[in-house]
Amino acid sequence: MAEGLELLTGKAPKPNKAEAMTLGDGSRVAVIGAGPAGSMFSYFFLSMAETIGLDVGVDVFEPRRFCHRGPAGCNHCGGIVSESLVQRLATEGIKLPDCVVQRGIESYILHTDVGDVEIATPLMEKRIAAIYRGNGPRSSEPLDTHSFDGYLLELAEQKGARVIPRLVTGVRRDEGLMTVSCADQFSDAYDLVVVATGVNSRLTEMLENETAEFSRADRTKTFICEFFLGREVIRETFGPSMHVFLLDIPRLEFAALIPKGDYVTLALLGDDIDEALIDRFFAAPEVRNCFPGGQVPGHVCHCYPRINIRSATPAYGDRLVLIGDSGTTRLFKDGIGAAYRTSKAAAKTAVFHGVSAEDFSNYYAPLCRKISNDNRVGKFVFSVATLVQKARFARRGILNMTANEQLQEDSPRRMSGVLWDLFSGSASYTDVFLRTLHPAYVGLLLWNLVSANLPGGRKAQKGNGHVRH
Amino acid sequence: MSGTKTRHGEAVELPFQVYARQFEKLPPCQARCPSSGDIRGWLGIIAQREKHGLSLDEAYDKAWQRIVEFNPMPATTGRICPHPCEDLCSRQDKDGAVSINAMERFLGDWGISRGLTLPDVPHQRHPETVGVVGSGPASLSFAYQMAIRGYAVTIYDRDERPGGMLRHAIPDYRLPREVLDAEIDRILGLGMALVSSVDIGEDLTLDQLREKHELVFLGLGAQAARRLGIPGEEGPGVIPGIEFLRKRKERQDTGCGRNVLVIGGGNTAIDAARSARRDGCSVTLIYRRSESEMPATAHEVEDARREGVEFRFLAAPTRIIRDGDRIRQVEVQAMRLGDPDSDGRRRPEAIAGQLDCLAADSIIVAISQEPGWHNSGAVLEAGAWLRPADDGRLQDKLFAGGDDLGPGIASRAIGQGRHAAESAHAELRGLPQPPLHPNSPLLTQDSVKVDYYADRQRSQTPRRRESSWLANPDREIDLTLSYAQASEEAARCMSCGLCFDCQQCFMYCNRGGFTRVEETSPGKYFAFAMDACEGCGKCIELCPCGYLEDRDVLT
Repeated sequence: MAEGLELLTGKAPKPNKAEAMTLGDGSRVAVIGAGPAGSMFSYFFLSMAETIGLDVGVDVFEPRRFCHRGPAGCNHCGGIVSESLVQRLATEGIKLPDCVVQRGIESYILHTDVGDVEIATPLMEKRIAAIYRGNGPRSSEPLDTHSFDGYLLELAEQKGARVIPRLVTGVRRDEGLMTVSCADQFSDAYDLVVVATGVNSRLTEMLENETAEFSRADRTKTFICEFFLGREVIRETFGPSMHVFLLDIPRLEFAALIPKGDYVTLALLGDDIDEALIDRFFAAPEVRNCFPGGQVPGHVCHCYPRINIRSATPAYGDRLVLIGDSGTTRLFKDGIGAAYRTSKAAAKTAVFHGVSAEDFSNYYAPLCRKISNDNRVGKFVFSVATLVQKARFARRGILNMTANEQLQEDSPRRMSGVLWDLFSGSASYTDVFLRTLHPAYVGLLLWNLVSANLPGGRKAQKGNGHVRH
Repeated sequence: MSGTKTRHGEAVELPFQVYARQFEKLPPCQARCPSSGDIRGWLGIIAQREKHGLSLDEAYDKAWQRIVEFNPMPATTGRICPHPCEDLCSRQDKDGAVSINAMERFLGDWGISRGLTLPDVPHQRHPETVGVVGSGPASLSFAYQMAIRGYAVTIYDRDERPGGMLRHAIPDYRLPREVLDAEIDRILGLGMALVSSVDIGEDLTLDQLREKHELVFLGLGAQAARRLGIPGEEGPGVIPGIEFLRKRKERQDTGCGRNVLVIGGGNTAIDAARSARRDGCSVTLIYRRSESEMPATAHEVEDARREGVEFRFLAAPTRIIRDGDRIRQVEVQAMRLGDPDSDGRRRPEAIAGQLDCLAADSIIVAISQEPGWHNSGAVLEAGAWLRPADDGRLQDKLFAGGDDLGPGIASRAIGQGRHAAESAHAELRGLPQPPLHPNSPLLTQDSVKVDYYADRQRSQTPRRRESSWLANPDREIDLTLSYAQASEEAARCMSCGLCFDCQQCFMYCNRGGFTRVEETSPGKYFAFAMDACEGCGKCIELCPCGYLEDRDVLT
């Protein structure tokens, strides 16, 4: 450690640490960013260290306050936590309190130009949690919103993590250790730096510029906005359902309206969502009809967050690991689930194996590869969905099959399950894809494609109460 | 109006539009500073020095140079100013206002100890000469600003030594004379002439002066003391506060006896009471309203109390009882507070029948000052305040400032002197008149996100031990912040209304719309491409200092 730095931090030099690529008592870890990945890493890391009696310090750098409303405290996200993740978090001791869950989602309503269908929660899943990552939309009343990210950070703090409210603006290798520097001239040395900044900060760009071997994640632009409608109106119009749309709009892969308290969140995912696309979406009758009076109201808050569409390569180095969105995440869906998986794997590697690039390559990279491979399948699944969006007859077939399944309580509900998992991110894309190869699924789909498109075919659905025209 | 964009063929309000221009706003400290100093500017030079490659010494030098652009006497005002700038500091309710006054004093002392020099006087002088009447803070400020603009300045004063009230009325324990001398000498050292012991209207008429100089500034002060107007006031033992303080500073016999009553509630009354305590008198200060209405600075009142000054509030003298020439007693009427008067303070009213008598050897009357000049020409009328325009202009090429406009603090006088000089220079050079008020809009309340900033306790001004105060009657009580304290205190400034490079907009703009400029300076760190704006307003919400904000789109 440089002499100046010792003076600055008042800490004793750690000459032996620079060579050792494992953490020991007194080692210090910097976590950059306190989104779900950063907080969960801190939580898991400190819990695991405790089990083996390792006395390590974790500093979480996060200048933002999750108690702020609006995009400043927010984290660019539709705010859906799948039931499978809710359960998995519970087994880790992370039980989401009621104040964090804005609304339990009990069904999906799929809107298409040929009708709507409601898909009820699969039997094994109770409900999906709709949450705010920050403290709610701009200008909202601070009534009962509690930040999801804020809650996770509190848990990390309870485990002993120290929150440093500073903005990290540089990370560099310095005499074998990692030096983290901040906008206000603060800098300090660490044995391990965990980057959990997501892809909406410049930090990974700076890392890329400084580190030749590293290339940051590829990104695309999405759109999120919030509508204020009031709790009562939302109960009557949207109900406890997430509304998804199968519309023939180029570059739009996924669109959902998610009710939360007094607000409804809109998330549009796809390839470089722009204003023209948003205008087309708002003009669609399927969308307008979801709102009271068939009018899309003005939104109170919007942003164009970027999402990760290809992993950072590699998402690690000596004393450096990238988790959550800034490293590897799932395509379009379940980003929080990916944050959970990558943060836990990175924590496990650091505590039980070491912090060298080789350690991360052996114990962390396999998970990243698994997620990336699944994303490739996901890309294919979404491209099939795009074909369906383009073909009216296909939409009819899918709608018909889903509606018929929803009428029969004891059926295997193959199409419903596929759609549910695709929308909620509850299952891997590979799993979803494999289910669509099942002969029963293929057969039933073919049957529905034919029957739904025969003259009079649509008539038969009218009375079933699920398909709504 | 926020920005509008067309959506579905209709105009839709976008919540925020950010556009590429400077968003600088006037911070509350500067809005409240009567000399309109660039407080945020000189604190920022110190706080952000490392971003500009300055050592701490260099930063202190530069900060001093920034201060003296506005105020050539920071070591003086850093000691005596009641610092209204600190009242509305955004840090006030967090962990205490930034100690602006103590910082000013530190930098003032730094400038003196380092021998820093005021800006150079231009080689090329203007042909016009300027006459300045008086040598108090307004006159010195005016003279300084004109000298550095290239005018030959002559100062006329009726006293032997320059400084006006700063020299005669501020006790040494608040403002050591060496400090005042150092700062005045530095101003006079810019090549101006000082003509002492000249009384305008007596030795020289104003008209004569205006014939001699192309432009004249009147900084006559308010030299006459207001009287009580009660029976028994005539005769020995009733001493005007200013006269008492002046005699003490000149080490003359004040003739105040053992038992002193001070009448008044302003800083002069407190200075007189504390000075009398230093001469071993027992002192009671009588004020007709209650303590909270006192115009004196609260900590001065507190210090006076610690030094043993007794206070009698809600009391007014009605009669001075003499035994021959000698004062024996003062009859005092008990008062209560009635309805608020024009300045919002509750008016004192007599409580019928409640009178008592206090023993006294002398009475120091410090109930404000009045004009003290002679009739001279059409401008100076004995006993009437001067009433110039806002920039100090009385007539063409005749300006005024300071206490001759009505009593005020030194910082106000310095501001008036500077404004008058700016206007005078414009008039002499045929330039457009400079704006009186800063161009930037005032920072809107609550736009600073106080909780972004880490807690940092306000530096404690070092003081001498209380037990030593009266034992060393002329020695200063408050001391200067240390070298290290000053840099820590500067770092507490939140830079309200001006970018200080927190980098959050730069780091978090989804579009990456902010780029760092090559040559940075406080306030200038990033450029923003308006056409990159996606209108989410995140940068505005993140900006802790209220610099970025939602504004109308200019075309």
